[in-house]
Amino acid sequence: MLASILASGLAAGAVYALVGITYNTMFSTSRVMSFTTGQLAMLGGVLGSLFTLKLGLGVMAGLVLTLIGCALIGIVTEFVAVRPVLKSLDQHLYVLSTLALALMIQQVAAIKWGTEPQPFPRLIGLGSGVWDEKFWLPVAACAITIAGLEYLYRRTLVGRAFLAISEDNFAARALGLPERNLRVASYALAGIIGGIAGFSGGELLLAFFANGALLNFYGFVPVALGGLGNNRGAIVGGLALGLFQQAANFLVGGIFSSVAVFTLFIVVLLAAPQGLFGVSTARRV
Amino acid sequence: MAISRRDVLLGSAGALGATSFSFPMPALADSEPIKIGCLAAMTGPSSAPTLGFNRGVAFAVDAINAAGGVKGRKIEIVMRDTQGDPSKAVNATQEMISQVKVHGIWGPLNSGEALATTPIMGRAKMPNIHPCVVETLIDPAKYPNAFRMAPSNSQWDDAVRNYCLNILKAKKIAVIGDTTGYGVTALGASVAAFKKDGAEVVYQANIDATQPDVSPDMLRARNAGAEAIVVWSVTTGMDARMFNTRATMGWDVPFVGHPSMSSGEIAGLVEKPENWKKVYAIGYKSCSYDASGKLPAKSEELVARLTRAKIALSDTLLWWIAGGIDAVELFAKAVEISGSTDGPGIIAYLNSLDKYPGYFGDYTFTPTQHNGYPTDEVVMSEASTAKNGTFALAPGYS
Repeated sequence: MLASILASGLAAGAVYALVGITYNTMFSTSRVMSFTTGQLAMLGGVLGSLFTLKLGLGVMAGLVLTLIGCALIGIVTEFVAVRPVLKSLDQHLYVLSTLALALMIQQVAAIKWGTEPQPFPRLIGLGSGVWDEKFWLPVAACAITIAGLEYLYRRTLVGRAFLAISEDNFAARALGLPERNLRVASYALAGIIGGIAGFSGGELLLAFFANGALLNFYGFVPVALGGLGNNRGAIVGGLALGLFQQAANFLVGGIFSSVAVFTLFIVVLLAAPQGLFGVSTARRV
Repeated sequence: MAISRRDVLLGSAGALGATSFSFPMPALADSEPIKIGCLAAMTGPSSAPTLGFNRGVAFAVDAINAAGGVKGRKIEIVMRDTQGDPSKAVNATQEMISQVKVHGIWGPLNSGEALATTPIMGRAKMPNIHPCVVETLIDPAKYPNAFRMAPSNSQWDDAVRNYCLNILKAKKIAVIGDTTGYGVTALGASVAAFKKDGAEVVYQANIDATQPDVSPDMLRARNAGAEAIVVWSVTTGMDARMFNTRATMGWDVPFVGHPSMSSGEIAGLVEKPENWKKVYAIGYKSCSYDASGKLPAKSEELVARLTRAKIALSDTLLWWIAGGIDAVELFAKAVEISGSTDGPGIIAYLNSLDKYPGYFGDYTFTPTQHNGYPTDEVVMSEASTAKNGTFALAPGYS
């Protein structure tokens, strides 16, 4: 039982963590929590299955095309649902615009792809039981993504520009950074990370249009637990969420496990409103 | 003889009078087509059954009209695409009743829409035949116009319970549903009925259809000693996950339950084809083939007719097509026997049916019983044996 909790919990947790990082990547350059995040991960599974299984392309070609597709959806999100409402960020109109786009994506997926879960192919064909690739693949994808992001943010000029905008948008623009282009790039990057979450977790979650809403929800929990904009917090929060959820599944059953997860979520937020790894910001009084 | 203007006027008036009174015109109602409204989700997520039903409807209408219609009156189908949306179904129903003035309505074809349209049709006393499973849709006191020509959910439940207790001889049952309204309701009713029949329900759970790992529930069911798992879920993903988990656990417990377990999509979702064995989904005698691969004689005849008419069977279910044919033929027969398209006449005819031989089943309606499908026609099928919209009869039936 313990092995099953660890395998399944870490796998689901890695997917939640990647979705959390997707939230953070979009948030860092726009201060917008986009509801299209879960749909990007859903599309990672659906497009992955479409390219590799239905169209018969190879795994690598399928992965690349899936990530391109998700990146494009990320860019569309920026143009359609984020840019028009950025001027009135304090009115939180992005809630409505990103939610509307997310629902559109979900409905189109339901109509074009179908409302039943579709199979996702075995990508490598390695492992069985608790060592099956469907369990370790999301964890590996999460680790590689984190390493890639660390490299991007610490070693490349573009990554540092992202950080600059994330730290102080106005100062970054004053220094001549192309804020708008960088924001578009960050949404494309978020699309890619969301696509990786869905593609690597495809064997576990299947190619299912309803995964978007689920991942929107469970992907937000690690962001809130770990602190808004904090990727390390999202990873720890995501993995902890996956393990706790799976343990609750074993101990109290499916429906009650969701209750347990959200009870814990509320308790943590009551104790640390800024998240476990977040830093409370100074307030001008 | 000179013809005066007065003579011409008198003559004209006489001629007009003669045409008006001496030679009666046939009543318009005797020649106008019989209009059957069809509320069908032709597009959208729940369109699969509709596509099958519509093939049967079109087949029956073509056959009746080609044979001269009903007492010389052609049948005209007034089709509206509801897209599976109850609000669109309501609008279409009102249009059919007040503007198109149809003589009867077939559908809606799913319970969600029917829950919204049934009271409207009831108020208009519109003859209505539908195949939806929700119990409350049929109430002859409230809706004397509504007739169900497919099994209700409790008839499905009866058939599943009969198979588990009397054929599989299982006494310890696990009942699993999904977390939809349907899954929760069906699970509750099933558990209560099993307990009433003296079976021990050793495990019950509702599982979220998106839950990626169902091994916790399967382990608990096994530890509780379940001898059969009854499934009430419309989600093929959840079904397939349970089949795969059963195989991983090395457990050979049978699954019995909802027809979704026989959906063709499961073939792609199970890790190995053998994971789909020992799964028995609800089916119908008329659409089940025996060990020699033969359907009942009447169904064989229907398949032959459909094949001659080049109606595709491989991507749908035979009962959907047969149900569509039966619905149209019931309306046609009602008009023929009652002699008119008046609603009360059609309803009175339907209320008088005793084992009316349809292709899908033999229907019986009375003024107080509008669930027309016989429960003993509901059987279990081997879920993985789909062949031209039919399934192999599950083991144990004589």
